[in-house]
Amino acid sequence: MNLEKVIFGFFVLLAATLNFGFFVGDMGDPHMHNIYELFAAVVVNLIATVLKFGDRTQIGAVHLATSLVASLQLIAASVMWTWANQVSSAGLTHGAMAGVVSMSAGALLANLVSVVLLVVETVSFQRR
Amino acid sequence: MTNPLIVAWHRMVGGQDASKDVESVPPRTASLVSDEAGQPEAAVLLVLRRLRVPIILVICIFSASVVGLSIIPGKNADGQVIHLSLFDSFYFISYTATTIGFTEINGELTTAQRMWVTLSIYLSVLGWAYGIGSLLALARDESFRRTLARRHVARKVRHFAEPFLILVGYGSTTKGIARTLDAMGRRFVVVDTHDARVSSVDLDGYRADTPALLGDARDTRNLVLAGLAHPQCEGVLALAGDDKVNLDVTMTTALLRPGLRIIAGTTSREMAGRMQSYADCDVVNHLDRFGDHLRILLRSPAAYRLMVWLTSAPGTPLLERRPRPAGGRWVVCGNGPFATELKSDLHAEGVEVTVVGTEDGHRLEEADLETAFAFVAASADDTTNVWLLESARRVNPRLFTVALEHRLSNVPLFQALDVDFGMTPPEIMSIEVMARLASPTLMRLLPQIPHLGDQWSVAMTDRLVERCGRRKPDLWRIHLDDEFARWVQPWLQGDGIPLGDLLRDPLDRDTSLAMVALALIRGGEALPGPSDDEVLRPGDELLIAAGTPARRMLEATLSDPVTAAYVMENRVVPSTWVWRKLSRRGSGLGAAR
Repeated sequence: MNLEKVIFGFFVLLAATLNFGFFVGDMGDPHMHNIYELFAAVVVNLIATVLKFGDRTQIGAVHLATSLVASLQLIAASVMWTWANQVSSAGLTHGAMAGVVSMSAGALLANLVSVVLLVVETVSFQRR
Repeated sequence: MTNPLIVAWHRMVGGQDASKDVESVPPRTASLVSDEAGQPEAAVLLVLRRLRVPIILVICIFSASVVGLSIIPGKNADGQVIHLSLFDSFYFISYTATTIGFTEINGELTTAQRMWVTLSIYLSVLGWAYGIGSLLALARDESFRRTLARRHVARKVRHFAEPFLILVGYGSTTKGIARTLDAMGRRFVVVDTHDARVSSVDLDGYRADTPALLGDARDTRNLVLAGLAHPQCEGVLALAGDDKVNLDVTMTTALLRPGLRIIAGTTSREMAGRMQSYADCDVVNHLDRFGDHLRILLRSPAAYRLMVWLTSAPGTPLLERRPRPAGGRWVVCGNGPFATELKSDLHAEGVEVTVVGTEDGHRLEEADLETAFAFVAASADDTTNVWLLESARRVNPRLFTVALEHRLSNVPLFQALDVDFGMTPPEIMSIEVMARLASPTLMRLLPQIPHLGDQWSVAMTDRLVERCGRRKPDLWRIHLDDEFARWVQPWLQGDGIPLGDLLRDPLDRDTSLAMVALALIRGGEALPGPSDDEVLRPGDELLIAAGTPARRMLEATLSDPVTAAYVMENRVVPSTWVWRKLSRRGSGLGAAR
């Protein structure tokens, strides 16, 4: 067992699961989406991105790209949430929350690609 | 937190850009280049890999501080319990953790919040210190710096837009050649295995920016990195101190870039044979060439002086004239192939030679120095040579003394001994290599000079000094073809142009330009020192010695119809279209075409 692989897999999966956890539920209902979960998703995604630095392979490059996409989308989602919650006079409306959640849905897609890549990498590694 | 990411991203994008240029190389080396293009990127990858842990640590500390601060209850001005939102605490921690410091937000923080902030300040400073420390440690890392230096060289070489040479080895020999090349305005890349030599390239202060690569030239990747696959690479000089390295470089170049100019140095005939079996290259053996130089000097000191001058850097002052050595018996004192080589060279010149070994001083007496004319100290080290010269002088003070000097640092010793003829390998190599590099036309002329007799060389040297001064002028070649000499073609194709007419001054045609035609090349044959009456034909080539102003003048004659008409026929042709039409109608005199 390779500890580096465990940590890598852990963070990639945790990024996807946290993202999913935030995303799931009625899109426009702020009570269905915990903001701390979004925060955790951002942090874990950033860590996953850093973990993917320095891999010279083609698959490593795609890994890094998916993580960058996911991080960017999640950061955008949290900026939208902050804007709606603290700047906009209308407050956290149904539409604003739907926007935040759909952003996180985009990040979820990138995270799913990342997980698929992880699985593909693992399978092809065992065949060798 | 974002700064390292931005830097990393720029580096990565930059790295990918850099690898795009490699498509324009010849196919044989394409695979090598694509391998090599990945190498410089290793620097970026190394940074990213080393910084992985510090960055993750900073992220963790930062996020823990943010979450903690938003969970710990605070109080507003009315004493109500409120929590900082995630964004507020992110904002607060951002300026606190980066040690910017600002003010407390939402009124005053509670003691619990302050405790937490104090903890996060210390933790985050720790995180930053670790991150910056790792970055600095990496910057001092030897292998990392070497990777960066290679990347730097590779980038400089890739952006060469003009022809350049690759110099393998940067010892005293190559330094002399590099200085001459630089004075001639040629570009080159240096490859050497010694760190000190490579860093001395910067200190030597060349006019052009000279990339220097630290690495073994036997490694093909290093040669490719130094530009072997570059379309502008015009030749390789394999002049490392080690014959095997030179052979390897010759072989690699011949296989990867067939047809590329190679000049290789060696001290053994066997190596020279091997090198020439791979490629049609110029092999220079300085021990062998020492004898040839001596032969030319014996035959004609004036020719020797002219040849050395013509192959030196532009601006080099002319050496003093040497008297012609008188005839007589030569004594060569030395062992090994060099002494044998010298003996056969001198024999070929019709000189009687006695060879004695250097094992012990008594042998010197057997050589009968009292009746000898000249003495050659040709042992393998300078100390022995100095000693031999001293002993020989003691026996016969009138001897013409010749010494093979091995190290440049010992030259003053030989000068103090007042040696009549002495040369160091770097000097010989420099003359030989520059003769081959300066211009192919000069290379045609040089071998003829010793056979033209002392008088010709004296006359030519005097003419050069009279017209161009005592410092070596620039040498260049003009080709009287349609493209370069378009506006004198009517005369060339008619009766031809006497050389003296072509070299008239465009400002005043009664005077000549300050230049000398060293040779006329017609149909592959070089005619040395053409006279002013020599008639030039289309397609002729001239090897000309002149300073830049005179050169501009001649180029004006060749490339401007008005100047050409004045220089050729003392006719002032109108330069505008209207006046040309008018004058054609009025007098019937047209422009040159």
